[in-house]
This record gives sequence, structure tokens and C-alpha cells, in this order.
Amino acid sequence: MAKVMVIDDEPFILMMIEDKLKRAGLQVVTLRESKSAISRIREEKPDLIILDWMMPEVSGIEICKKLKSDPELSDIPVFMLTAKGQEDDERLGLSTGVERYITKPFSPRSLLEIVLERVGTK
Amino acid sequence: MSESELNRLREDLRVTINELSKTYEELSLLYRLTESFSGATVDELCDIIIEEITTQLNVKTIAVLLYNQSLKQLYTKKAVGRWQVDEETLRRIRLFRDMLSRGRATTICDVTTMEEMKGLGFKSILLAPLSGKKSPVGLIVVADKVEEEEFFSGDVKLLNTISSFAGLFIENAMLAEEIQAFFIGAIRSFVKALEARSLWTAGHTERVTRYAVEIGMELGLSRKELEKLRICSLLHDIGKIAIPDQLLNKMGALNEFEWEELRRHPVIGADILSELVGFVDIIDCIRCHHEHYDGTGLIGLKAEEIPLAARIIAVADAFDAITFDRPYREKKTVDYAVKEIVSNSGTQFDPLVVDAFLRWIESTYHIVMSDTKSGT
Repeated sequence: MAKVMVIDDEPFILMMIEDKLKRAGLQVVTLRESKSAISRIREEKPDLIILDWMMPEVSGIEICKKLKSDPELSDIPVFMLTAKGQEDDERLGLSTGVERYITKPFSPRSLLEIVLERVGTK
Repeated sequence: MSESELNRLREDLRVTINELSKTYEELSLLYRLTESFSGATVDELCDIIIEEITTQLNVKTIAVLLYNQSLKQLYTKKAVGRWQVDEETLRRIRLFRDMLSRGRATTICDVTTMEEMKGLGFKSILLAPLSGKKSPVGLIVVADKVEEEEFFSGDVKLLNTISSFAGLFIENAMLAEEIQAFFIGAIRSFVKALEARSLWTAGHTERVTRYAVEIGMELGLSRKELEKLRICSLLHDIGKIAIPDQLLNKMGALNEFEWEELRRHPVIGADILSELVGFVDIIDCIRCHHEHYDGTGLIGLKAEEIPLAARIIAVADAFDAITFDRPYREKKTVDYAVKEIVSNSGTQFDPLVVDAFLRWIESTYHIVMSDTKSGT
């Protein structure tokens, strides 16, 4: 069973994604604060990370950059949650190794679909 | 806290998250619709509606019906699946008419029990009115789920979200199309008035417009760019209104002074059109439609300094001028015109436009152009 780690400071988004993915049979680990993200990712070794861009303390992009420069963690695919209108920043993010951008408010149903598409066979 | 209390709280939380998820789904749908609806034509809006319903509800048939205000009748604008309802039948169904003035979607679980509907061949349908700001715009009809189930309240809610939004956008798009039709109609009338002054120019503008749009399509212009090109082409000779009749209709060759006067028509046209505040690009295009690609034209702009639409019109205009009679010379064959245009590619005409023109000529006149490639 694939393990997905969701990092977002908005509790409802976190609960909603957790509920949706768990119902589909995925293992879900959630994290509400970004400071300990890297160490938690190292502990959990998830198959996929869903990461919010805009978080206090450490932003999703920073986490992703650190992740990609760490040979042990760099293979984990990252989906980035962005706010509307942030699409222009995507070019900035491209070099950080984000695999997919998902604009908020996203459809929970299609989020599940693309997550399953990526890790469903694990 | 007792175990049962805790369980109740857990259950509450589960229900809340589930509701939240649905609301979030709806919110994301609204965002998506706002984005895809904005700037869309009525046709595109109907396509988006059908596409969105197809992905959201697994149904066999979807129809978007629009309401003709003057005839007070519904007609099928777009449909997918098993929609074979003719206008006559549409008129007879009272339920459809009644739905127009309703605020919300309705389901009918068993259509076969309804006298006026049983001939349609559907089992259950879901109807949602498309409403404008003040008046009805139309109706969305969704019929029979693929899995043969009934429609749920979630389906109704979803269709309501789409239809309440779509109604306003369709109304706006219809208004915009009406204004556009009036605008184009007004331009065509001006052009007719202009061309009525000279037998030689009758139909010239319409033909040039047709050629220019064809070349524009070969160049892969967007819908918006093509529309602008169409307006520019229709207006390109408007400056001839200031050219004296005796000069426009003069038989035989023009002297240098007369040519000079005739050559001013793009600049005169731009001047007349300066009243079109905010349409600088259209005015620029009219001003430049006789500029030469190499910069030897009247104003002296060259290459990309000349608006693309003007470079296209230059080729379309030349092609029509050569292949139709002019008072100062007889018409020539398409072959001749093509060779003439190709030989001026890179000097008078933009080579890329000439290439697109040749592609269009090849597909329209079935002339093989292998020996007349432009100078690129």
C-alpha cells in the first residue's frame, strides 16, 4: 500500500485530503507545520509528497529544494498545492523538481485520481 | 468523556469532513468554470457545459436547449448521446417550457409515465434552467445515467451550480455576439455604399476579406486574431470614399498624379477611422495595408513594423486586384496572379504570408506550386 505524506498548514485541507486518500486505501501521514518536514520525510519515506506552497516558517518550495538536493530523498515525487494566480511562479518552481502543480481550490476527486495514477500500483 | 460520546464526535467529524469535501469540490468547479467560461462564445460555452457534465455525471445524454426570445421557442443548440428531439416535439413539451421560469433543477425519476415525454425514449431525466439576469436563456437536459441508477441530490446540486453560472455567461455571450453582428453589419453596409460608387470595385472587399481570412487560417491565427483580420479586411479600402468618382472609374491608365492621389487611400482611411477610439491596431492595419515588406512603401515601414494583418491584406488585395477587371486593365488568370505575387515576395510582400497564400491556393485551386516557391 502506497504511503502519501501531506504537508499543509490549513487543518481542513489536511483532513479532507487525508479522508479522501484513506478511503481509497492509501496510507496517509499528515503534517501541519513545515519546520520539521525534512526530518519527518526522512523518517516516513513516503512514496509521494503533497506539499502546500504557502506555509509560514518554511515554504513548500524551500522544502522541495532541500528534498531534491538530498540524494536519499530526491526520488520522491512532489505534488505542489498552489493558490490561484500563482501559475506565473511555476517557472520558478520548475527547477525545484516539482512534478505536478495543483491549483487551490482543487477538486478532491481529481486529486485522488492523479495520486492513484502516480502511486496506485504500489 | 465516555466511549459513546467519543464515537459520536468521531462520527460528527467524519460527516463534517465529508460535507467539507463536497463543498470544496463545488468551489473548485466554480473556479474552473469562471476560468473556462470567461471570454467564450455561445458555442464554446455549450461545449464546456457538456464536457463538464460528462466528467461530473456519468450520463448517456446531454442537451443544451436555448430559448429564442422573439419566437418564444426552445431549440436544441448542442447535444450528445441519444438526443433526437425535433423542434416540433420540443414545442409540445410543457414541462420544458415551465422549467424555464423555475429557479432550480428538477429530476423526473420515471419519464415513461408522463404522456408528453414518453416518446423521447428516456427513463429518468434531470432538468436545469439556464437563467439570465432577468429572462430565461434556456435549459439543460440530462438523461439516464450509464449505470442505470436514479439521479441523486448531489447530481441536482452539481447541475444547479453549473446551470446558474452558465445562464449568465450565455446571456452575456449572446449579447456580445449581437453587438458584434451589428458592428460587422454596419461595416458591411458602409462598404456597400462605398462600392456602389464604382462598378469596378463591387464585391472586392468581400473577396479580399475571404482570401485574407483563409491566409490567416493557414498562418494558424487564433479566433480573436482572425476576427480582427476580418474587420480590418472589411475596412481596408474605406479611405477610397475620399477619392473622386472620376478617378475611381477612369478608363485606361492613370497618370502619375492620379496614382499619387489613389495611393493616399490607406492614410485617409486611417484618418477616417480615428473615431474608433481604442482600436489603434485596426487603424494601424488600415494605414499600412499598402506598405512594402522591404520598406519602400508610402510610409516606409518594413517587415515586422507592418502589422501582420496588413501584410496579409496586402497579398489578398493584390490577388483580387489582378484576377478581376480593373478600369485600367483586364483581369489576368490565377496562375499569372500567383507568379506575380511570388515574384514580389520579400520585396513587396512578406515571404511567410506568401507561403501561406500559396498553401491556400494549392488547396483551393489545385494548382501545383512546385515551380513557383516564394523567395524564402
